[in-house]
Amino acid sequence: MKTVTRSVLNTRLSVARFRWLPVLLSLILSGWASAQETHDHDAELQEDFVRGEHGGRLLMAGDFAVELTLFEAGTEPEFRAWASSGGSPVDSQSWSLDIRLSRLGGVSDRIGFRPVGDRLTGDSSVAEPHSFEVDVTARYQGRDYHWHYASYEGRVHLSAAMAERMGVTTGVAGSGIIHQTELLYGKISPDPRQVSHITARYPGLIQAVRPALGDHVEQGDLIATVEANDSLQTYQIRAPISGVVVDSHANPGEFAGSEHLLTIADYSSVWADLNVFPRSAQRVRPGQKVALRMGRLWTSSSIRYLNPGEGLTPSIIARVPISNPDLVWTPGLLVEADVTIDQFEVPLAIDNLALQEYRDWQVVFIKVGDDYEIRPLELGRSDGQFTEVLSGLNPGDRYVIGNSYLLKADLEKSGAAHSH
Amino acid sequence: MIESILKQVIARRWLVLFIIVTCAALGIWNYGNLPIDAVPDITNVQVQVNTEAPGYSPLEAEQRITFPVETGLAGLPNLAYTRSLSRYGLSQVTVVFDDGTDIYFARNLINERLAVIKNELPEGLEPVMGPISTGLGEIFMYTVSALPDARKADGSPYTATDLREIQDWIIRPQLILVDGVTEINSTGGFDKQYHVTPDPSLMLRWGITMDQVAFALRNNNDNRGAGYIEPNGQQLLVRSPGQLQNFSDIENVVVANRDDLPIRIKDIAEVAIGNELRTGAATRDGKETVLGTAFMLIGENSRAVARNVASALTAINNTLPAGIVAEPVYDRTTLVDKTIDTVRENLLTGAILVIAVLFLLLGNIRAALITAVVIPISMLGTIIGMVTFGISANLMSLGALDFGLIVDGAVIIVENSIRRLSEAQREDGQKLALDERLALVYSATDEVIRPSLFGICIITFVYLPIFSLSGIEGKMFHPMAITVILALCTALVLSLTLIPAALAIFMTGRVAERENLIVRSLKVVYRPLLQASLKLRWAVVPLALTLVALCGWLATTLGSEFIPQLDEGDIAMHALRIPGTGLEQSVQMQKVLEERISQLGEVDTVFSKIGTPEVATDPMPPGVADTFLIMKERDRWPDPGMTKSEFIERLEQVVTEVPGNNYEFTQPIQMRFNELISGVRADLGIKVFGDDLQRLEELAGQILAVIEPMEGATDARIEQVSGLPMLTVVPDRETMSRYGINISDLQNLVTTAVGGQQAGLIFEGDRRFDLVVRLPERKRIDVQQLETLPVAVNSFSEGPGYVPLKEVASMETVTGPNQINRENGKRRVVITSNIRDRDLGSFVSEARQRLASELELPAGYWLEFGGTFEQLESAQQRLSLVVPITLVIIFGILLTAFGSFRDALIIFTGVPLALTGGVLALWVRGMPLSISAGVGFIALSGVAVLNGLIMLSFIRNLWRETDDLDAAIIEGAMTRLRPVLMTALVASLGFIPMAINTGTGAEVQRPLATVVIGGILSSTLLTLVVLPAIYRIVHGSRIRALPGVRNRVADGDDGSGVHRNMPAR
Repeated sequence: MKTVTRSVLNTRLSVARFRWLPVLLSLILSGWASAQETHDHDAELQEDFVRGEHGGRLLMAGDFAVELTLFEAGTEPEFRAWASSGGSPVDSQSWSLDIRLSRLGGVSDRIGFRPVGDRLTGDSSVAEPHSFEVDVTARYQGRDYHWHYASYEGRVHLSAAMAERMGVTTGVAGSGIIHQTELLYGKISPDPRQVSHITARYPGLIQAVRPALGDHVEQGDLIATVEANDSLQTYQIRAPISGVVVDSHANPGEFAGSEHLLTIADYSSVWADLNVFPRSAQRVRPGQKVALRMGRLWTSSSIRYLNPGEGLTPSIIARVPISNPDLVWTPGLLVEADVTIDQFEVPLAIDNLALQEYRDWQVVFIKVGDDYEIRPLELGRSDGQFTEVLSGLNPGDRYVIGNSYLLKADLEKSGAAHSH
Repeated sequence: MIESILKQVIARRWLVLFIIVTCAALGIWNYGNLPIDAVPDITNVQVQVNTEAPGYSPLEAEQRITFPVETGLAGLPNLAYTRSLSRYGLSQVTVVFDDGTDIYFARNLINERLAVIKNELPEGLEPVMGPISTGLGEIFMYTVSALPDARKADGSPYTATDLREIQDWIIRPQLILVDGVTEINSTGGFDKQYHVTPDPSLMLRWGITMDQVAFALRNNNDNRGAGYIEPNGQQLLVRSPGQLQNFSDIENVVVANRDDLPIRIKDIAEVAIGNELRTGAATRDGKETVLGTAFMLIGENSRAVARNVASALTAINNTLPAGIVAEPVYDRTTLVDKTIDTVRENLLTGAILVIAVLFLLLGNIRAALITAVVIPISMLGTIIGMVTFGISANLMSLGALDFGLIVDGAVIIVENSIRRLSEAQREDGQKLALDERLALVYSATDEVIRPSLFGICIITFVYLPIFSLSGIEGKMFHPMAITVILALCTALVLSLTLIPAALAIFMTGRVAERENLIVRSLKVVYRPLLQASLKLRWAVVPLALTLVALCGWLATTLGSEFIPQLDEGDIAMHALRIPGTGLEQSVQMQKVLEERISQLGEVDTVFSKIGTPEVATDPMPPGVADTFLIMKERDRWPDPGMTKSEFIERLEQVVTEVPGNNYEFTQPIQMRFNELISGVRADLGIKVFGDDLQRLEELAGQILAVIEPMEGATDARIEQVSGLPMLTVVPDRETMSRYGINISDLQNLVTTAVGGQQAGLIFEGDRRFDLVVRLPERKRIDVQQLETLPVAVNSFSEGPGYVPLKEVASMETVTGPNQINRENGKRRVVITSNIRDRDLGSFVSEARQRLASELELPAGYWLEFGGTFEQLESAQQRLSLVVPITLVIIFGILLTAFGSFRDALIIFTGVPLALTGGVLALWVRGMPLSISAGVGFIALSGVAVLNGLIMLSFIRNLWRETDDLDAAIIEGAMTRLRPVLMTALVASLGFIPMAINTGTGAEVQRPLATVVIGGILSSTLLTLVVLPAIYRIVHGSRIRALPGVRNRVADGDDGSGVHRNMPAR
């Protein structure tokens, strides 16, 4: 009897003990369980529309409903639509649909639909960006249904004051000149035809030397008289070219043999020998314009010819004549040269500062009012400053140049979803 | 044993008093050493090893630095785990040790290894350990700025570089000497550098390379000592000065000779003061500034250190150039003072309330004072213990101290003694003789000492499960539990020593003790209530059960939070920009943001740290800014009634107007903790480990695709690891070999041209500045110019002697890894997800199973599951073990006291009844469940048991004496009304200030106090009403069913030797 009582007691004990244990445990533990609620900062991406069975946007009016998707897997993006009435699908032949897309900047596209299987399919593809206001008109059993909704992508709103404060500046897209250049380095060298090394015709004793080092002489000027050894006749040496005496080894009383007496050089025209390396060689052609710089000096000319050299180095030399009346370009000087490879006017060009990468696209942001929106571009040729636009932008569009990065940053921070 | 202690105490009462006073004095002295802070330190034991690697991309930083450092540190004793991040120019390895490891020991170990590791790193890179500080370490911040009209000696305005120079060479060296400061970190401005910027075409002209320039500078910039000579008895030191002193010295260094012509630096380059390629910047109120942060050494007193830094800064201000000011912008003292004020106010008011109640209910001022003196002395004893155990005084550690609970034991003893004394006096009609008095005090104390000791023991025991908490929860609540236990133990010792001694000494006069009006009127109300309850016991008990069930349901609706967050007053806001955003762009965006914020009337000042500071304590990419909003005092707000969360809402509105930024809102200390702990903070974190980054990203994408559609998954995402745009200069090996150029030549050229090459130091007195060779800025930033950078060629005797860079290398812009994270020596990518409306366990197991079947992991790749669910699981496991064990222990104590399962069980029923009040109180005040509240419930269980103990022990004794169950219950309950009410009242009143205070930090203590007050009220009520009914049901049925059992049980009780000492009145 006694043992029975004990065991009954024990059972009661354990029941009683654990009856409230879960309560206490749950009280304590629920503290941890929800620790995370404080950590979420990001609100979930709210969808403000109802999705239909094909994953598209469901537009409803009474019994009648249209589901619209922008289908882009494996094809050009196109609209597809299904209709249902009272919950059951409507045959694609028995209803019609018409959509107007109003894009930023007043452009609108009109899309008609044709039946394909159980659905209607848009008759033209939808260009990026998929950012527009959509007017949907459906016709079913003699009744018209209208819907209107906005579906923005890549759009940023910025007040004028904030844009100014942030240094967002704009320009108008228009024609431009693309100026492709190649930077080359080279050396100034004298024009070989304008350098004259003067020697005595007959060996003899130098009797007089006229010009001193650095003197300017004209062609035909007397520069030296020499007494020939053989004939003991004195003969005159005259300047073969006009120029400056750049070297002189001759003095009266000295013997004139086969060595140079004087060097006269005319530096009023010199050459720039530009080194052209293989990767540039195909682009550099005779006749191309060249802007030469050395410090603050600059001049322009064009490439006269390309000298392949003797094959000792991989580089070839592009020779550029320089007229040098002030004698500022002295041989040996190192110059930088901007060679204009090509120059052409394009109907539509944009400032390179405006270009940003967004998703896989090169984009610019157009501005309409205080709204900014991406325009994915197809780009053509480019130089250091401007880039040709083949498509994606219209002439006259106002696009962002300064601090376009800010708009990209704003778009990507909000993780704008690519869903329609 | 207890008897002999009591005898000794009463006999040597003056000695006891003396010892207690000495201990109290010791406590007062210790108070000065008590570290005081706002919140407990939850940082783990960690050491950051930072290696600055200028110019290194994330990949190189990982490969060359992070990997050797990590593997070198692997296998340290007590190592918990390592994690690392490799960013542009920085490798940071964080070594986390097991909790409890001595930080200096850990640092020593690391230091030892670093010496070896250094040899494996690229030349010139120096791994250094971060400051010896914790999450609470950033105690003081100041900005250095120039007044608008301040001018330098040469008349030009101060630049950011000048301000940084002042910070680095005037302010920092002085501040770092302040006691308790371990590091002064600088953010913003530019390190001053001397820049030599050679023009590529001029270098070509003379056939000089960048390396030659650097070489020439390096070899012409030294002082040398050359020993001494002693020509005529006098010693002459010989030295040869050759250091470059100024611009013209640098300009005149000869680089090479060409045709007998010395080519000097000035012939090919410009020399100027330039800007370093900085990794961080600072702004304040929309302007660039230089920001200094003082880090406190681990374990120091933050209030004292912050105050010392502040006064040092004031002194330094006098030594700064005219027009330059260093202003404090963040001072921890403010917060600590405010919170400590709150705590102090709570404790003081609580103590006063307790004393008042004691006096009112005891009706004897001396007795009340003797009881009350337990409060300060146990407090001082607690302080001694806290200093010994290294626990800082803060909101949490002092947050559960209830003087009402502490004096409970003393109250019981004092109450019994004075009643006995007054009874004795009434009998004798005169004052008692000394030995009579002593004997009486002894027997009165002895009578009740056990229940009161039991009570204290039980309350102490219920705090034990808290020690099973680990990690952050453990760090938060262990100090609290220790403090409470310390206080209770001190009180226990005091009830055993001071109280009897003091009673013996001071209760000399007439002891007037009578039941005052309050108690009497309460009794009038109580008796019919009790009788009704006994009569309707079959209704009362189910009613109570229903109430418990109702409150259990209510508890689930309360909502919950982790720990109520201390409102630090100030706000810290992360401004996040997309990866790849440059520092200067970020600074511009930040300036506009700050301008906008500083227009808010509530904000006193706003300042930001952008990117990584000089000492990489907080390595952020340049696109991220920590924005600190220092708020005005609330009464200076335009609308002082606005709550903090309303303000944050408003702030969020305002800052969202500023484009390009994403925001996260937090608070300065909280932010720092998050940065340092930095584990996975979502419910579930799936870590993919492996080698190939691309592969890891792909796998992460696949995992996300599996997890995201699962039921309950919210905010699933992959941590961002890529997206950093890079300009890569890829050498064309074949072409290069034809020109005879080495890869390293080319890389040196690119590095020097873009990043610069250090070519020595320029000394200005103490100050030293880098001498750097770099391309002129306009050429450096232009990619097309870089393409044509001439690379020197020596292999052709003829020809130009150089080749443009683009001939031998191709330039590409690619997107590379933004940051490489590693954990325990392996690369990893984390996919995180929170879980809603579903229990964690099933979600995790479903995720595991799905991933196992749907995901094919390549060899060498593996998954780990982590996140909060792990902590939860382990906490759950531990608690489900520890809580029952604790209950068994308490039950054991009760059993020892009663020798009866039934009675012990009956007392246990008081616990759920007590919890109902706690839940109701939370519900009424609209508070969520939190761990703080949970701790409140734990304390409550102790009090509830104590209540029941007091009640039941008396009823039991009466019943045994009279053998009339109903009479015993009523009589016992009536007599015990006063002590039950008194212990309950003091315990709940002690917490009232905490529950209603609105000062800084009150929000952390409020839930605990609320729960305890509510719980005690309900538990008292229910103890008084329901407990007797239960007792009646349990024992009544036994009388009917098993007459005579009672006697057998009572016989058995005799063996316990306890009940005999139960109070018999």
